[in-house]
Amino acid sequence: MMRSSQTFTVFMTKVAIVHVVVLLLLAGAPRFSGAADQPALSAEEAYRLGERMYREGILPSGEPMQAFVNGDVPVSGTSFTCVSCHLRSGLGSIEGQVSAPPTNGRLLYLPREPYIKGYEHVPSFHNYAVYFQPRPAYTDETLAELITSGVDPTGRSVIKVMPIYDLEDRDLEILIAYLKTLSDKTSPGVSESEIKFATVIVEGTDPVAVESMLAPVEFGIARKNSLTNASAANPRVARMGYNMLGPDLLQKKFSLSRWVLKGPSSTWRAQLDAYYQAEPVFALLGGISEGDWEPVHRFCEENRIPNLLPIVDYPVISDNDWYTFYFSRGVRQEGEAAARYLHGMYDLFSGRAIVQVSRDSRKGNALADGFRAIWADTGHPAVIDIFLKEGEQFSQQRLQEIISELKPAALIVWDDAAALEAFTGLPALADRPGLILASGTYVGKALWTIPEPLRELLSFTYPYRLPQDDIRFDTLALKVLPGKKYSDYDQKIIRQSYITNELLGNALMDMRGEYYRDFFFDVIAMMADEYYPLYERVGFGPGQRYASKGCFIVQLGKGENPQLERRSEWVTR
Amino acid sequence: MGLRIILTIRIFTILLVIFCLTGAEAGAVKYERSVESVTIPDVVLVNQQGDKVRLKSLLETDQPVLVDFIYATCTTICPILSAGFANLQRELGPEAAKVRLVSFTIDPENDTPGIMQEYLDRYQAQPGWDFLTGSRQDIDRVMKAFNAYFRSKMDHQPLSFIRSQEDGKWIRLYGLMSSSDLMKEFQQTGGK
Repeated sequence: MMRSSQTFTVFMTKVAIVHVVVLLLLAGAPRFSGAADQPALSAEEAYRLGERMYREGILPSGEPMQAFVNGDVPVSGTSFTCVSCHLRSGLGSIEGQVSAPPTNGRLLYLPREPYIKGYEHVPSFHNYAVYFQPRPAYTDETLAELITSGVDPTGRSVIKVMPIYDLEDRDLEILIAYLKTLSDKTSPGVSESEIKFATVIVEGTDPVAVESMLAPVEFGIARKNSLTNASAANPRVARMGYNMLGPDLLQKKFSLSRWVLKGPSSTWRAQLDAYYQAEPVFALLGGISEGDWEPVHRFCEENRIPNLLPIVDYPVISDNDWYTFYFSRGVRQEGEAAARYLHGMYDLFSGRAIVQVSRDSRKGNALADGFRAIWADTGHPAVIDIFLKEGEQFSQQRLQEIISELKPAALIVWDDAAALEAFTGLPALADRPGLILASGTYVGKALWTIPEPLRELLSFTYPYRLPQDDIRFDTLALKVLPGKKYSDYDQKIIRQSYITNELLGNALMDMRGEYYRDFFFDVIAMMADEYYPLYERVGFGPGQRYASKGCFIVQLGKGENPQLERRSEWVTR
Repeated sequence: MGLRIILTIRIFTILLVIFCLTGAEAGAVKYERSVESVTIPDVVLVNQQGDKVRLKSLLETDQPVLVDFIYATCTTICPILSAGFANLQRELGPEAAKVRLVSFTIDPENDTPGIMQEYLDRYQAQPGWDFLTGSRQDIDRVMKAFNAYFRSKMDHQPLSFIRSQEDGKWIRLYGLMSSSDLMKEFQQTGGK
């Protein structure tokens, strides 16, 4: 107890010093001049340092910021960064019963009322505004006081929910200057009357898949624009639209352009740059590719353009990238799930080998890489890898050789439906492995044609809700295809794109007229986990970028019209 | 000279306000306390090192036990709860290893052992603090057993529990607590 009390007392003394400095600064000292022995900073450098303080909790000196939470708990600023609660946009968060108000200069330097001006009668705006107590506009001085002492301009203490920071005068000045830049100018692609979106389509993608991706999003946009048109002519519709969206979003029309990428992926970046230069859009919605997506991902990262849920098998796997929300970790996720499933039963293997046979293809390699990455984390001995070259058939003979030579406890086969032929003689093999696992999505529709004697011997990864359970979402999916034949579309992609449309609508309504790209993704990250079509559970969470993280292990059941049967839970650890 | 006096008065006033407010916050009971009987479900969870942990064995012990519900990417409540755990360990010093701190993830879909270890490292956790994940079903069972079920991680609430060493009952603490409050509650339930 002594230690933290002493630290806190020292800190409070520093608070007094900081206030002296702030008062002196406000007396007219030039910006970013710093102490006499510190060089002046350019605006760019000050911005970079301020962003690092805000996002990483690192002082310009490179040291971590020192913070105290709840009045007396000393913590490193790197675990209690500003961005943790106020989010990247600075427009704040509401989670559980703790709410973090906006901390961008534009709103800080305005008085806060128990309503949002111009939106007093919009229910969602009103519900948000009453979360926070009214206060006068901040000044540089009172903002410095809040950050260093936890006292707001009304004299209220916020130390229960916000850390106080031990900052020198120059660092405080840099941080406050950065706050003034946050969510300051409306993002590109948004005007008084319109929000522009685009979707990226890789030329050569199956046309049915493309139409299935487009239909739900185009439906959502058409419906929104119809509401805008109707509200201009019909006061009852206008009232409904006003209550749902507020006056600003109601009057804005949405547009969706198709950015078609042609030729090799090495040329896509130039095409994307040209599209963007001709038409700056607020965000990319969906998008589709049967192969590469990385150039689009990088384009979004570098231009800070959100891309909401592209339909891809090979998303970029990153813990830090920010600007693309994916449905999942793609094909790789099945391999990762397989490794976790085997890890859970490893004690049963009694030290016998695990063999991984993988097709040397993009899909086979992604599955095998995913498996190996998770397996390495478990600390178990490495699996024996066998690679199938292009054109090489996985035959019954090859299977028998593997079994007789290696006697594996478990065999994983990452190959397409042609590999199923190798298992024909499996029931008669005496030393067959206790577990044979393949990819349900790689095998594809052939999964449903597996003959009965093999069904209890073969297990599959399946990264979706089981079809017999997901059928209840058909009604929802059909809503985005009015007057169209469901069978003309890819039902998986329709379901994915349905989710995109839902998230887009919900996010824009939650954004309260603050059309900032970072806030768009901040808002989605703060949404509660949902039970949408296709995936057992969809959820983001701050900083998370892969919505569905689970995968079942399944077997095909008995009978003429078999169903998939679960052999694992959605998430295995 | 005049400016100096004004500044001195100003600083004194600010400090007075701060100390008064700090004292008021610390002195007032801002959390709710109740005593609960909890039937620990017989589930096997996974800790930050990827090791399987039988929950009953971990929690039903003679050692003092504190429990909370958090997730690794949480932006609001969890950092404050975790800072409280970290500070408790710091205050206990060498005795920290004799106290079991158990954080359950409420986001098992995302929180893998690797992510949980990284989280504990961020708070400079010492031995004795475990972060547990598991299947959604098992995590739901644990949340329900503690009457701390959240349908979504974004609906969660600040909840901590301390197991009484006298009768095995759990002190349920609802609210964001200061570290001194947590220490006081811990000592009241038999913690040294």
